[in-house]
Amino acid sequence: MRILSTLFICALMLVAVPALAYDALVLQSLREKGYDEAVRGVRRECRASMRTLVLSDYAEADLTRIMREEHPKLVIAVGDRALEVAETLRGTPVLYMMALNPKPRQNVTGVGMLLDPSRYLAVFNSLGSKRVGVVYDPRRSGAYLKRAQFAARRSGIDLVLREVHAPKETPSMLESLRGKVDALWMLPDLTAVSPVSTEAYFLFSQGEGVPVVTFADVYLSMGGAVALGIDRFDIGRQLGEMAQSVLEGTPVEGIAAQAPRRAMTRSNDGVLRRLKAIFGAGT
Amino acid sequence: MKKTWRFSRYRNSFRFRLYFIFTGTIAFLTAAFASFYVVTEIKGYRSTLEREGRLLATILSQNARLPLFAENQEALSLLAGATARYPSVLFVSISNTEGRVLTSVGDDKKLEEGGIEMSVPVTSPGPVLSPEAVLLGHLPVEEERVIGRVHLHLDTSGARARLNSLVVASIAIATLFWILVSLLCYQVLKRVTSSFNMLMAGIEEIGSGKLSARVELDGNDELDRAANAINAMAASLELRDLENLSLQEELLKAMRLEVQEEKKRVMARLIHTNKMTSLGLLLSSMAHEINNPNASIRFSGHNIAKIWEDVVPLLDGIWREEGEFYLAGVPYQTARGALAQNAANIVENSERIARVVQGLRDYGVGGSVNTRPSMEINSTVSAALSVLACQMKQDVQLKTSLGTDIPAIAGNQQQIEQVLINLILNAMQALPDGRGQVLLTTSYDSAAAEVAVEVQDNGTGISPDMIDRLFEPFFSTKLDKGGSGLGLYISQYIVAERGGRLQLSSRPGKGTLARVVLPVEQHAPQRPDC
Repeated sequence: MRILSTLFICALMLVAVPALAYDALVLQSLREKGYDEAVRGVRRECRASMRTLVLSDYAEADLTRIMREEHPKLVIAVGDRALEVAETLRGTPVLYMMALNPKPRQNVTGVGMLLDPSRYLAVFNSLGSKRVGVVYDPRRSGAYLKRAQFAARRSGIDLVLREVHAPKETPSMLESLRGKVDALWMLPDLTAVSPVSTEAYFLFSQGEGVPVVTFADVYLSMGGAVALGIDRFDIGRQLGEMAQSVLEGTPVEGIAAQAPRRAMTRSNDGVLRRLKAIFGAGT
Repeated sequence: MKKTWRFSRYRNSFRFRLYFIFTGTIAFLTAAFASFYVVTEIKGYRSTLEREGRLLATILSQNARLPLFAENQEALSLLAGATARYPSVLFVSISNTEGRVLTSVGDDKKLEEGGIEMSVPVTSPGPVLSPEAVLLGHLPVEEERVIGRVHLHLDTSGARARLNSLVVASIAIATLFWILVSLLCYQVLKRVTSSFNMLMAGIEEIGSGKLSARVELDGNDELDRAANAINAMAASLELRDLENLSLQEELLKAMRLEVQEEKKRVMARLIHTNKMTSLGLLLSSMAHEINNPNASIRFSGHNIAKIWEDVVPLLDGIWREEGEFYLAGVPYQTARGALAQNAANIVENSERIARVVQGLRDYGVGGSVNTRPSMEINSTVSAALSVLACQMKQDVQLKTSLGTDIPAIAGNQQQIEQVLINLILNAMQALPDGRGQVLLTTSYDSAAAEVAVEVQDNGTGISPDMIDRLFEPFFSTKLDKGGSGLGLYISQYIVAERGGRLQLSSRPGKGTLARVVLPVEQHAPQRPDC
């Protein structure tokens, strides 16, 4: 009888082993509505089995042990913190999304949060702005600005760049742009755009009569003219397709990092009317 | 002294008290309102100043947000200087969160002189998020982060100057208002209390005894009605006073008449007493004048009888010898008995004269008042009748019914005689026209051991309302006929002193019965010594 009980327990343990086996480990920085929205997009496009691990639920998650015991085929990092942790893994492909400043690494690819610069340049073209002022931190947005400058040159737009290394420098840099630009491009740069210095963009816009093109429609209520926002669910779907491709055998190195493919454009008609600007792409 | 008295009187007057209360209340209310106005104005001015300062500080903090964030001291100095140009701003400073002053304008030494200090935080815009949060779809939250502070020091010297001028103006206006209202109050009170003063003056005048005074008020208010009531009361008192005076005069007149009547009665009694005294003296004198010749007459009668006894044998011898002869024209045998009888009559009548005279003397002078242990009541009645023998009139039938076996009683015979004489005289005087019957009865009640003497007449009688007053001294129904009003009073006193009682019963028109009851003492002998 005792032998039978032992055999039964062993059988149950064997049944549980398949349940622990999955294809992708979703490593989420914290429980966040935006992250959840993106993860839903991933699940929509990727039919693989997944396990979600929220780092903020653990004081210190032992990711190495999890990888060793559970052997996921893919790690999907959601957020900068998760990407930072996932980059420490060796041998497992890592796909990232919702990370603001991803660094190109081996075996790591994903979908960034910054729209392709050509999207913004198209907006500036639509507004008729030829000189566009940009305040940025080269450590954070240097690579993105290089691409932007390249695209701008093709579009005939002159990007007037001002580098900042601390948030408090933003107002003075903006002051230095007075009379030199037709529009301002507000980047999602944590140094150039801080909660305190945000006001300076719109004061500059009001004082100089130039529109501010920003990256979120939240700023429209503060005085922004046009906002190009991202669609977090679509980013998830975009990454899901990428993950499905990886799981189907496509090597990660063969997949380049992508910008969000879908942008949601909003405009503040009141601001545009006061600035006497015309924007045909308003939604 | 007079001024002090007048001031004290004025100070206690109703008008002064009302005036004092009114002016005091008005002064208090005026001071309260003025103080409230000044305090309110100062608070309002201070509140306005604070509001202005807070507004300036808030504007400065809003404007200094970006320069402070960028630590642009030049821009901060410009903003602070612009704010410090306001007249009420003494000092402006802007500091960061570490407390380091980035710029300051004004003289901070004046801070010690007082004033309003204002500190407003410089905050970042609340709804603005970081780019990362915005990309994650976070909603803006109302959270302001303090990035520095703006300090303002406001000048309150203007408030002090305003306070001084306000206090001076308020005091002046309040004093003027108080004076005007006090004067108005005085005039109103003077008008209102004039009627009251007139009423008080009238009341005091009436109260001082001048009941003919009147309160002259014309109107229909409460004071006028009170004045009318007081006038009516004074008139009533005056009428009653006059009635009292009239009654007093009538009483005095009546008392004078009464005194005169009493005086007449007293004088009549005095005259009667004087007459009685004179009568006593006359009786003594008469007794003395009568007793001397009467003694001579009685002595002569005795001598005549003795002589005649001696002469009769001689004259009998002569008669036998010579026969009849005449003496003074009367035959001897007739004269012999008549002369002896005449001599006896002389002696007897002389003795009777002596007894009457002695009785009159005893009655007039009073005689001995010693109590005799054995007084015969019947002999006392006889003695009284003998005294009154000369008073008897032909038309008065005096009858006696003297009882037998009446024991002797203890008493003063003269006094009992006086009692009986008074009663008999009263009975005789009660007979109409002096005609009628008087019956004297003596009796003995062995059961009660009392001797009674009754004097009954069939005269006019006595009315019931008079009979109770007959024993009062000096009460008499015959004062005009010489009555003293003391007869029955003395008689009752004498009888009562002997342990007896004097009773009167009468029926008007039927007569009166006077009954003297005297007790028989047990040790007294039952039989008189004969």
